[in-house]
Amino acid sequence: MSGGPSRLPEGALASALSQQTERLSHCVHCGFCLPACPTYTRLGDEADSPRGRLHLMGAVVEGRLDPASEAFQLHMDRCLGCRACESVCPSGVEYGFLLERAREVAVSARQPSLVQRLLLGLIQRPALFLPWMWMSRLLRWSRIPALLGRGEAGAGRPGPLRLGAAMLAASAPPSLRVASFTGTRVQDREGEASGEPRGEVALLTGCVQDQLFRRVNQASRRVLAANGWTVVEVAGQGCCGALHAHGGRLSQAREMARRNLAAFQSAKPRYIVNNAAGCGAMMREYHELLGEDARELSHRVVDISSLLAGEGRRPRVGDPLAMTVTYDAPCHLLHAQAVSGVGEALLASIPELELRPLQRAEECCGGAGIYGITHPELGGEIGMDKARAVIASGADVLATGNPGCMMQIGAHLRLLGSEIQVVHPIELLDESYRSAGLYES
Amino acid sequence: MSQVTATLEPSLIRTLSGIVGERAVITDPERLLVYESDGLTQYRYPPSAVVLPASVGELQRVIRTLHEADRPFVARGAGTGLSGGALAVDGAVVVTTTRMNRILEVDVENRRARAEPGAINAHLTTAAAPFGLYYAPDPSSQSACTLGGNVAENSGGPHCLKYGVTTRYVTGLTVVLPDGELLRLGGMGQETPGLDLVGLFVGSEGCFGVVAEIEVQLLPRPEGVRTLLALFDSLEEAATAVSRIIETGLLPAALEIMDQATIQAVEDSVFAAGIPRDAAAALVVEFDGIEVTLDAEMAAAREICQDSGAREVRTAAQAEEREALWKGRKKAFGAMGRIAPDLMVQDATVPRSRLPQVLARIGEIGRRYDLLVANVFHAGDGNLHPNLLFDRNDPDELRRVEEASREIMEVCIEAGGTITGEHGVGLDKRKYLPLVLSHSVLEAMGQVKAAFDPDGRCNPGKVLPDEYLISTKDPR
Ligand SMILES: Cc1cc2nc3c(=O)[nH]c(=O)nc-3n(C[C@H](O)[C@H](O)[C@H](O)COP(=O)(O)OP(=O)(O)OC[C@H]3O[C@@H](n4cnc5c(N)ncnc54)[C@H](O)[C@@H]3O)c2cc1C
Ligand code: SF4
Ligand code: SF4
Repeated sequence: MSGGPSRLPEGALASALSQQTERLSHCVHCGFCLPACPTYTRLGDEADSPRGRLHLMGAVVEGRLDPASEAFQLHMDRCLGCRACESVCPSGVEYGFLLERAREVAVSARQPSLVQRLLLGLIQRPALFLPWMWMSRLLRWSRIPALLGRGEAGAGRPGPLRLGAAMLAASAPPSLRVASFTGTRVQDREGEASGEPRGEVALLTGCVQDQLFRRVNQASRRVLAANGWTVVEVAGQGCCGALHAHGGRLSQAREMARRNLAAFQSAKPRYIVNNAAGCGAMMREYHELLGEDARELSHRVVDISSLLAGEGRRPRVGDPLAMTVTYDAPCHLLHAQAVSGVGEALLASIPELELRPLQRAEECCGGAGIYGITHPELGGEIGMDKARAVIASGADVLATGNPGCMMQIGAHLRLLGSEIQVVHPIELLDESYRSAGLYES
Repeated sequence: MSQVTATLEPSLIRTLSGIVGERAVITDPERLLVYESDGLTQYRYPPSAVVLPASVGELQRVIRTLHEADRPFVARGAGTGLSGGALAVDGAVVVTTTRMNRILEVDVENRRARAEPGAINAHLTTAAAPFGLYYAPDPSSQSACTLGGNVAENSGGPHCLKYGVTTRYVTGLTVVLPDGELLRLGGMGQETPGLDLVGLFVGSEGCFGVVAEIEVQLLPRPEGVRTLLALFDSLEEAATAVSRIIETGLLPAALEIMDQATIQAVEDSVFAAGIPRDAAAALVVEFDGIEVTLDAEMAAAREICQDSGAREVRTAAQAEEREALWKGRKKAFGAMGRIAPDLMVQDATVPRSRLPQVLARIGEIGRRYDLLVANVFHAGDGNLHPNLLFDRNDPDELRRVEEASREIMEVCIEAGGTITGEHGVGLDKRKYLPLVLSHSVLEAMGQVKAAFDPDGRCNPGKVLPDEYLISTKDPR
């Protein structure tokens, strides 16, 4: 059985998982995934490793383990869903797919935490979500979060209020100080991308992205247009459903996916561009939720960095930005979409921008959707490690292509008292274009 | 030997939690399910508890507490073992070293390193790389397995053909004996005065105590490396090439063979190395050392491969190509999950000159039992790894796997070989040990084991058959 809507009656426990014996059986217990797993490397318990979690899923399917048990609940819940385990698995175990089914089983056996239910409930209902986001923006504008969320190196673990404040503050526009603008204007080299027309693309505007990071969407539209893409607006689109799918609410996720499928299918753009890696990963897997009808659409979904700088393509060249930048690959681009090197390639196309290597860039930042909020302790530890690595890179700017990661890393940088700015890579390219006067006409 | 999980007394749980912290003692039987198997999934022995000490001090106090409570225990690293060595027979308590995973020191001048037992093999080389040094033993599982597990199993790897296995590199050990006593063995000097207890501990399969700290020798990176990939239309031809290469006196750093089933599994995986899928066998030959000799060695090896019937011989010109080839080779076992849900990997060693005949007979056994056998192995050492692929839900296939395994083992012994090359005896090969060791040798081993572990509490039910385990306490 390869995805498609489950036809078993609601409440049939373990059903979603028991159809997956085939997929589960690919795990040969080699253990290669263990060192890649952020929860295992920090906790040391094999039940918090990919192999261990797969073993527990297997035990549920075999009827040896009750999905309501503490063991199943705890270890499924504690997974980040970062899918780093998939990138290193020689046997091609589709861990992310299995996790979503396992979580569906887990949440139907026992109610998940209040925070989780609350967050997912809010996102799903525009009547609640929009006012919440509006208030968040107002609060952010007040600069209270910025003050509240600032910490200093060596400070202890923040409480939920400070963490929340720091995350909200981290979503604010960066103040980019371009160190020394040389003034030399780089002409488009021959054969390189220019503004020649290429075709129509649509942008997934998203939920949080559209509310807290609208500037990234706007920058994306400008940069795409500057590279010759006509951006068509697609009405009727909404949240991609990723957070719900990761939380095991597959029927709600399916509903959201269906709405997007209908909206984008009627617009028929050549590509559906994503600037949030988590949403991109989700949409590229819509066929796993909705069956074959969605496959064609899934194949047209592409990350913006990939479209502009993947497979040897180079984006149009703008003005130099003399600054030091380090790049953290979002897990849902690197691992879930198995796309590597494109964020770096995009940044490398900006003249005079110095890209600094980031240690353990392939590891999750602990944001993982709403994990940073639902698991502040472990998510915080992982986030702190990431923030320390960013600081150690010596860069002035961190670029990463996912709103959750921007907020998580930004928050932990703030909590450590760092001034490093957090941006989406496309914002830098946009800045370089703006400075080059590409938008003047 | 039983599969029961005897639960721990609440007072014992409290004492252990007092040492390592509440979160580092796991006693919920359902959470313990994940520890019932290691890299070998045929067996399931859930432990009675898992304890995760974070330091030598904690480790020592845990072992002492278990001694006082008269509890059997077994050490566990990454659980990549392929002989069931880390399984909790008799409801043993599993003592896991994953929280003791630091590289403590890289001593560049003396080319030594010290590490905690849960440190991952590959991380040691990563830590030594900036100084032009590396840790030579490279089990295919090196990206995941621990140094403690390597010491216990005296692990080898592709490059151990030239460089030797783990024991050659371990210069000192800190160990905790089953009664909780801490001993420092060896260290720094090439030779230790007195009896060589370090050498005795390496390869003891966790039966003498728990390794708490490891000191190893590092090697300088060789000046040059050359890698050749020879493709054959038959597995026997590839094996013949291996025998001839060794005969001529060449000393490659590695000589590895993958058969067609393995090549296809690897090429389907994220570690695809660009090996043609229609080749019946791929032979990887690597030379390393000082630059001036390498090209002549490569030319000689190339000629031998061609003479043995290679249809194509390629050289990995770039470092990336070589790396891709090695990744493919090392992840081959994992990639086999693509072919069948379960696999049983054998680990027999035969004299290299007998490789072609033995491989032909293994092929014949596979056909007779109607089983898919995928071979990927350290050919230069004559260390075979036939992987029998099956589905555990098919009882008849399971039976055929058992029978074919035994026949393969017999063929190897008949050819003058032995039952394990590097994966150890553990739980799985225990029954075969009397096939290759005499009664008096087994008795001697039982006596050595009793000297370290008089109560028989350390890694119970492993390696030696029950009748050779001498316990000063009540008979089993
Ligand atoms: C894909 C794959 C490829 C492999 N390739 C090779 C190879 O090329 N060469 C090779 O030799 N092996 C190989 N192995 C086998 C295995 O990886 C090795 O035996 C490895 O050394 C086991 O390490 P571990 O940390 O996983 O130990 P575990 O499996 O956890 O334990 C193995 C044994 O060591 C004991 N042990 C663990 N830690 C300690 C300690 N601190 N003190 C005392 N005893 C301890 C355990 O009790 C057990 O008996 C491979 C395995 C896999 C899955
Ligand atoms: S790497 Fe893949 S096959 Fe190996 S244990 Fe992990 S999930 Fe299973
Ligand atoms: S998704 Fe991430 S956290 Fe979850 S098991 Fe895989 S590597 Fe670990």
